[in-house]
Formats: sequence, C-alpha cells, structure tokens
Amino acid sequence: MIPLENYLVLSGILFSLGVYGVLSRRNAVLVLMSVELMLNAVSINFIAFSAYLDVTQITGVIFAIFVVAVAAAEIGLALAIVLRIFRNRSSINIDEAAELKW
Amino acid sequence: MSAEWAWLLAVIPACAFIVLALFGRSLPRQGDWLGVLTVTSILGLLIAIFTKTFGAKLPMLNAVEWTSIGDFSLSHGIAIDWITLIMLPVIIIVALMVNIFSIGYMRGEPRYSWYFAVLQLFVASMLLLVLADNLLLLYIAWELVGVCSFLLIGFYWEKRSAVEAAKKAFITTRVGDVGLLIGIILLWKATGTFNIHELISYVEHGELGGTTLFVSMLFIFLGAMGKSAQLPFHVWLPDAMEGPTPVSALIHAATMVVAGVYLVARLLPMFEAAGGMMLIITLVGLATAIYSGIVAFAQTDIKKVLAYSTVSQLGFMFVALGVGGIGAGMFHLFTHAFFKALLFLGAGSVILGTHHHQEMRNLGGLLRKMPITGITFAIGSLALMGLFPLAGFWSKETILSAVDYGPGSWAFILISIASIMTAFYTVRLFLRTFTGEPQDAAVAEKTHESSLIMTGPLIVLAIFSVFAGFFIFTDFSKAFGLPGGISELIYLHYPKHFSVHWDLVGYSMALVVIGTFFGVWFYWRGSTERSTKLAEWQPAIYHMIQRKFFFDELYQFVINRIILGISYVVSWFDRYVVNDTGVDGSGELTKYSGFVLKHLQTGKVPNYALAIVVGIVMLSLITLVLRG
Repeated sequence: MIPLENYLVLSGILFSLGVYGVLSRRNAVLVLMSVELMLNAVSINFIAFSAYLDVTQITGVIFAIFVVAVAAAEIGLALAIVLRIFRNRSSINIDEAAELKW
Repeated sequence: MSAEWAWLLAVIPACAFIVLALFGRSLPRQGDWLGVLTVTSILGLLIAIFTKTFGAKLPMLNAVEWTSIGDFSLSHGIAIDWITLIMLPVIIIVALMVNIFSIGYMRGEPRYSWYFAVLQLFVASMLLLVLADNLLLLYIAWELVGVCSFLLIGFYWEKRSAVEAAKKAFITTRVGDVGLLIGIILLWKATGTFNIHELISYVEHGELGGTTLFVSMLFIFLGAMGKSAQLPFHVWLPDAMEGPTPVSALIHAATMVVAGVYLVARLLPMFEAAGGMMLIITLVGLATAIYSGIVAFAQTDIKKVLAYSTVSQLGFMFVALGVGGIGAGMFHLFTHAFFKALLFLGAGSVILGTHHHQEMRNLGGLLRKMPITGITFAIGSLALMGLFPLAGFWSKETILSAVDYGPGSWAFILISIASIMTAFYTVRLFLRTFTGEPQDAAVAEKTHESSLIMTGPLIVLAIFSVFAGFFIFTDFSKAFGLPGGISELIYLHYPKHFSVHWDLVGYSMALVVIGTFFGVWFYWRGSTERSTKLAEWQPAIYHMIQRKFFFDELYQFVINRIILGISYVVSWFDRYVVNDTGVDGSGELTKYSGFVLKHLQTGKVPNYALAIVVGIVMLSLITLVLRG
C-alpha cells in the first residue's frame, strides 16, 4: 500500500505550484487555474486522511465533494468577473485592474 | 401643635411666588395686592403660632424623613425655638411694610409683578432659613435668599451698574457660601448628621471637638461673613444699593444680611466649644464695625451711607455674639431691623419725592417739603444712634454690657469708638439731607411728600423703632404675653435678667453726645464748610476713606493679576494640552497614519495574495518555534 506521506508530499507540491502560479501569473485566467490547483491539493489531503486515519467515517470525502462544488461555483463567478473586465478594458492583466483602492 | 403648621409660613409665600410669576401680569393691578395679602396671612399664622408656643416646651420639632440610603437617613423638618421666634416677626413685619411701601414706590416700573413675585420668593426662603432644623435645608434656603438678592439687585438690568452689582453680590457671597458648604460637609463627616440640635448635643457631650470642630466652624463662619458682609467680604453690600430701595430695606438691611448673625447665634455653643473661634468672631465684628463707620463718613450717596451703617451694625452684632452675648446680638438684630428698614424706606421716600436724587449734595432742607418722611427719618436716626430710650439705645446697651463682661477693656474701647462713629455719620446724614437750605433749587422745587401708602409703613416702623427696645424688659414683654425679656429667652449658659446699669447708660449716652456734637459742629444746618476744610487739610486720608480703603481696587487687582493669571495658565493648558493635543491630537494622529498607510493598499491582487502567503508562513513559523 502506498504510504500516506506520498499523498501528502504530492498535495504539498501541488499546493506550492498553485501558490507560485497565483503570485507570479498576471493573466487572470491563469491565476484562477492556480487557485483551482490549490483547492485540489486540499481535496487530496482530505481524501488521503479520510482513507488512512478515519476508515469508518466519510467526513473527509464529504469535505472533498464540498470543495469541488464550491470551486465550481467560485470559478463560474470568477470567470464572469474576468469576462466583464475583459469587456471593459480589452485586457485581463490583473496588475492593470488596480482601481479598487483609496 | 402649631409646629406642624409652621411650615405653612414658608409654603404660602412660595405659592404666591408661583402665582405671581406665572399669572401676575394678568391679575388686576398686576397682583401687587397679592403680596400684601400673603404676608398679612402669614402674619396671622405667626400670631396663632405665638399664642400656641407660650407655655409650650421649646424647641418644638417636627421633621419628616426625606430619604434613606442604606444606613444613612435624611430628614427635613422645622425647629422652633426662641431664636426662630425672634426672627419670624422681624421678617414678617418688615416684609409686610416693604410690600405695602413697594406698591407706592414701584408704581409704573417695568416688570412690576415680577418684582412682587421675587419679593414673595424671598420671604418664603428667608422663613425657611430660620425654620430649618438641619444645616442642609438651611443651606438650600441660604442659597435661595442669595438668588433672590441677585435677582432684585439686578432688577434694573438695563443699567450696567446694576448688573455688575448683582454679579458682585452673588460672586462675593458665593466665596463664603462655599466655605459654609465645606463646613457643613465636614460636620456631617464627623457626626453623620445635619440636624442642628443633634450637632449641638454632640459638642456638649464632648463627642465632637478639637481641630475638626475648629476647622468646620471656621468654614461655617466664612459663610456667615459672606452673607453678613463682614470684612473682607463687605464689598458687595454697598453696591447692592443698585436695587430698588424697598429691596435694600428688606433684604440688605433687615433680613437677609442678618442671616449670618442668625447662623452664628444658632450654632453659638459649637463656636464656643471650638477654641479661638469666639475671638475671631469678635475681632471680625470689631474690625467691620470700625472700618465701615469710618467709610460712612465720606459717602455722599444717602443709600451708601445707610449701607455702610448696616455693615457696621452687623459688626456690632458679631461682637456681641463673639463675647457670648447671644441675647444682646439677637436683640440688636431685632431692633436694628426696624429702624434700619425705616431709614431705608425713608431714603426711598426721599428718592421718589425728589425724582431720583440720592446724592446729598443735591438734597438738603427736605424737612419742610417732606415732613412725615423727615420726622420718621429723624426717629430712625435717633434710634440708630442709640438715643435713650429708643430701640437702638437698649440693644447697644446690652451689647456694651456684654462686651464689658467679656474679653476686656480693648474690645470695650473699640466698640465705644464704633458707637461714636455711628452717632456721627447718622447726624451727618440727617443734617445734610433734611436741614439747611436746598443745595439744588431745581430739585427742591419739584420735591413733594410721598403718598400715604408710603408714609404709612414709615409711621408703623417709626413706632416699632421707638418701642421695640422695651422687649428687653421682663414686665413689658410679659404684657405682650412673652414669658420674659429677650435676653432671658435667648441665652447660652444661664438666663440673664436685664437690669438697667445707670453708669453704663450714662456712658453710652456720653458716646452718643460726643458723636452728635462732632456731627452737629461739622454739619450744622447742612453746611459742609468745616468738613470740606478738614478734607482739604489731609487730602490723602480723605481720599483713602472716600475710596473705601481701596478694597475694590485691591480685589480688582487680585482678580486681574492673580486670578486671571492663573486662569490664563489653566486655559492655555486646556486649549493646547487637553484640547489640541489630547482630543484633536488623537484624531489628527489617526488621520495622518491613515494618510501614510493608505499606500499599502495598492489595489493589485498579487500584492494582497503575497501578503496573505507571507502572513501564513510567518504564523506557521511562529507556531513551530513556540511549540518547539
């Protein structure tokens, strides 16, 4: 059986990639994709812990399903916003969309 | 018993005040009759109380619990003893005469009904003051009479001098009043009671004494000094003459200014137990009596002369109290109220008769034009001088004999000098106002005698000025149903039966004759020739007397330089430290920090994301380090 650590390392790598993507990318769609990557890393963690430590319960699995559902909703909303930004300024560079400040 | 009904004495005029203040203008004659009616009704009530008190055990007490908080309970009530019973007729009779006189004097004045309203409020407060059985209630009444005094001094508030006089009176007495309040609180802290009789019994049983008692009584005496215009708080009373003249007669001669004397008399056993206080009272009284006697020499306004005379006579009363002669002090209060009210009302009659002239240099020779005013004024003057056998003679006689028994010859000599001065300035006032040739023909031409509504009260008060002194005699008092003469009714240690000491009578008359002689020699037939020469001989001294020994200037200096200086520093601290630095400063700091820190908000999403990540990493590291 594959040890738990492997799953955790995989999830850690995935999460770090997501963080790197969020911080380095300027394209709003790529940033959103990186966020999805982070969410998936979290889901892997939930399922791995659920399978190894809490066999009789399905709490972790339920959480993973929730994460997927919320991520779907979130990405729908976020893409709509990105679409509007693109309509307004013909660009989805998030550095340029910086009016929301003092 | 009648003590249960005595509170009506204060309540009836208080109701009259409310009616007059609210509806006075719509009443017929603007309600001036209501004042007379009110005071007449309480005079009837007073007679009823008097008939009940004869044979009853005094003091009569009647108190109701006002409030109770935990162990502390406060009851307000009235106490009637002989001191109160001497004060009540004085207040009510003088108030009645002043109410009647005012109908004539104030005719056609603006705010006519408001004048009568405040007069009733004053009567109510003054009666409450003498009826109160505890110091707290007394203090409330004490402030109420102060307010009435303020309102009536400033009655002609279109006149700037009247406004300033009212302010001066209020603020000066306030200095003493704060002392009184501190004294009352100190006594309460030491004993837990405000009740006067309980406090006195604490002192008599030795449970209250030493420094606590001395300090408390010193503060209470400050209050008495302020109200009774004793040196150095006397400055407000002469200025208070800005008020309508009947008010001067009632408040600033007969009743309110003697509240201090009343307070000291009421608490005299406590003053006596507070070592050294009696000497302080005597010294203050002597200094005031002599000081204001001297100042009265050089005053040219007839009301100002009378005002300084009042201050001087109040000094006499304090001297009497200071040597333990409580009967003598209260007796002088009793007689002085009548003849000084008479003199003030006479002055009011002169002012109205000459169409508002009260400077002696414009008057003169009024006796022919105003015979009734002149004769009653003469009676009042003779009573004030202390001529045998008028009222003032007997009370001055009791004071002299009390001082004679008391602290020694120095006080006796000083009070004798003050007595000579009284005769001198009174003679001067009368001769310059009523005799000789009119100084101002235009004034003299228009002068007329006042109507009956004003001369009537003068005649009544003149009768009192002649006969009030006889209440010192046991047989005379008994004829009126009193159990004895005043000095037997009011005493500190043992009842003193008054008897005539002929050597003292001769001495006292000699003092009057000396004073009269000088007065007549200087001012015969209203001439000022000799006195002008005297003034020119020593202009510096005359100037000093005329300017009242520069008390006003001294106070103005203290206020301008010291008090305003301190105020300047305090206001600087308030403006720049408290307001600008403390209140505005914290707001400005918030605003400025916002101005600086707002640049952290770039609006760029990656910056926020970086901040979140860095924050989480930092928190994780901290947790890791702390957990070990």
